[in-house]
Amino acid sequence: MKRVILVFFLFCLGAFLSLCAAPVMADSHVIKIGAIYPLTGVAASAGKELRAGAELAAEIVNKVVGGLDITIAKNAGIKSLKGAKIKLIFKDHEGNPTLGADLAKKLITDDKVVGMIGCWHSSVTKTVSAVCERYGIPMINDSSSSPTLTKRGFKWFWRTFPHDKWFVKDFFTFLTGMTEGKVKGVKAISKSDIINIASACEKTEFGASNDDLIKNFAKEYGFKLKKALLYGAKAPDVSSEVRSLKAAKPDVMIFVSYTSDAILFIKTLKAQKAKPKIIWGQDAGFETPEFRETLGGDIEGVLTRAVFLPKIAMVKKAAGQVNRLYKEKMGHNMSGASARSFVGVQTWAHVLEQAGSTKPADIQKTANAIHIPGKELVLPWAGVKFATTGEEPGQNELGSGLIAQYQKGPDGKVQMEIVYPFDVATKNMIYPFKGF
Amino acid sequence: MDILVGSIAAGILIGMVLALMALGLTIIFGMMDIVNFAHGEFLMIGMYAGLLTAQTTGMDPLFTLPVAAAVGFLLGVICYYGFIMFLLRGPMVAQLLGTFGLMLFLRNLALLFFGPQEMVVHKGILVGKSFDMGMGIIMPATKLAAAVLSVVAFVAVWLLMHRTKIGKALTATSLNAQGARYMGIPTERMNALAWAIGGATVTIAGALLVNFWYVNPYVGILFTMIAFAIVALGGFGSVPGAFFAGLVVGIIMEIPGIWDFFTYTFDSDWMADVPMTSFKYMWVYAAYFVIMVVRPRGLFGWKR
Repeated sequence: MKRVILVFFLFCLGAFLSLCAAPVMADSHVIKIGAIYPLTGVAASAGKELRAGAELAAEIVNKVVGGLDITIAKNAGIKSLKGAKIKLIFKDHEGNPTLGADLAKKLITDDKVVGMIGCWHSSVTKTVSAVCERYGIPMINDSSSSPTLTKRGFKWFWRTFPHDKWFVKDFFTFLTGMTEGKVKGVKAISKSDIINIASACEKTEFGASNDDLIKNFAKEYGFKLKKALLYGAKAPDVSSEVRSLKAAKPDVMIFVSYTSDAILFIKTLKAQKAKPKIIWGQDAGFETPEFRETLGGDIEGVLTRAVFLPKIAMVKKAAGQVNRLYKEKMGHNMSGASARSFVGVQTWAHVLEQAGSTKPADIQKTANAIHIPGKELVLPWAGVKFATTGEEPGQNELGSGLIAQYQKGPDGKVQMEIVYPFDVATKNMIYPFKGF
Repeated sequence: MDILVGSIAAGILIGMVLALMALGLTIIFGMMDIVNFAHGEFLMIGMYAGLLTAQTTGMDPLFTLPVAAAVGFLLGVICYYGFIMFLLRGPMVAQLLGTFGLMLFLRNLALLFFGPQEMVVHKGILVGKSFDMGMGIIMPATKLAAAVLSVVAFVAVWLLMHRTKIGKALTATSLNAQGARYMGIPTERMNALAWAIGGATVTIAGALLVNFWYVNPYVGILFTMIAFAIVALGGFGSVPGAFFAGLVVGIIMEIPGIWDFFTYTFDSDWMADVPMTSFKYMWVYAAYFVIMVVRPRGLFGWKR
């Protein structure tokens, strides 16, 4: 009898131990990466896009996908790590930097993630990357554009996305191009026609850094910044801000806003019958599908800094192929947000593949040396290569931006057309803005 | 000049809606000396009531006022009989903490049901339309309608309070509850009615606001603070006080526009550099602070 009990006891112990070991064994085949995005709250629509883009990239990494001419589609999982699969653990920061930092700590200590990706809001990326830096966990930032993020000399932070300094400079180059007749479909105009500028930037990290950039570049390029106001982000009402902008009688209005603010500004501009010659959104809110779907025809003629347009497929094969898969999955084209997170996860896959290890030090060494050629990417960049010296270590040196204009297509629906860079313009620019 | 006139006109317009929002707070305080911290949450519920009714029935958000009013009326009655009635027996601090708890409860309830994302009215007969009155006065149709309907609601409440038997009973209860009880006035019911009227007016204001303001479960706190400033300025318990203070606060919120007028008039560089729009709500709280220090009973206050 005693022997039966002993055998039974040993059996139970064995079963228990094997149950405990199962997840550990399974874990050796997955590489966990924490993905912190705004999945609810005012930027939820962007968060949904970011998540979908990241998920699609992970799916492509984890299995062989035919008809895709990019390296990550060739193998099932990370080949150098015995086909280990990438597992993204999504967390929702709600646009709150403190919550973001807490989630990062939990992901590192509880979930034992190998690395991090995120976070859209520059303010959240700032706190999350600080946590990663403290724990020595690599973070690849796919979607934040505040220039200060790569100026902190962090050793565990890389950014694939070009930052706002380049975008704001692009816009002033574009304005100067208008006076030189370089813009497709617009004859050279006198600089005095577009010299007066007014800007409204939201008051967090993203907007405040852009406010400085706009001031500096306006001066450098010889434009008059008549009004530069900072407003409280997630503003409930912007009528006094719009009145203030209008009073400056600007030719050009610049907005730096996330989605809900961007929609509110356009609605209020319409209600107050504002009619500047040019309206430019420094992305974030202005590029999201929600912005376009909510405002419809009202935004015809509005310019936005853009990251991804389906028309990129005309110059990039990979963009068309990936966008087709994305459309099958989501029912609509990739947006700037989903394209950014796609490239972020893709970069993670390349780094892991080349590192052949999940040790932070190996990842760090590989990330600093990596070079992903432009033909691999869905974005119109020359590639991904992080700076290791200079003022901005960790910043991708091969990124670039687009300026697009909302125009009505043949089906009557509003879509984006590229107007800058001048040599890849897809349509004649509408100038001046017709009014609401 | 355009910006000065435009700003003041916009301030008066929004002030009328803010006044209606603060009316409920002042009625409840006037009746039973209880400060309702959950007032902003009542407004938030009104906003959701208007928005969701419009979305589910397809009717214009402007016509959802009766639904919002009914929701507010019921909410007031339920809160009174289910919660406040018991709080009144406790000390002052229990009443303060009690309504604070009610605020957190309602907010989290909304979070549970509606989620943290924002909701906005995008369609409606008046949404997106505006009238150019000249002199820089551009009135968005939704705000104009909200202001006019606010005034109508205000007049209705004033008539109820001053021209009906129920109004007299309410006033009697607020002046001397014990005396009123001896005269045969059902004071408990009067208190509940005060909560019901307070709830209905604020939810109507919410349904009006949602035509041009977003709603999420956290929107209440901003309005609670503004409502406190209005009630403090107008005098706790004073109906006409709330109206005039609402207008004043509306204009105070437009100080950045008035500042712009002087900036352009004097063509002053340093004035242009002052980030006035960044602090547009600060002036409301500054006014609240000043009135509390200088004249604690407010401009029209009759309760000491």
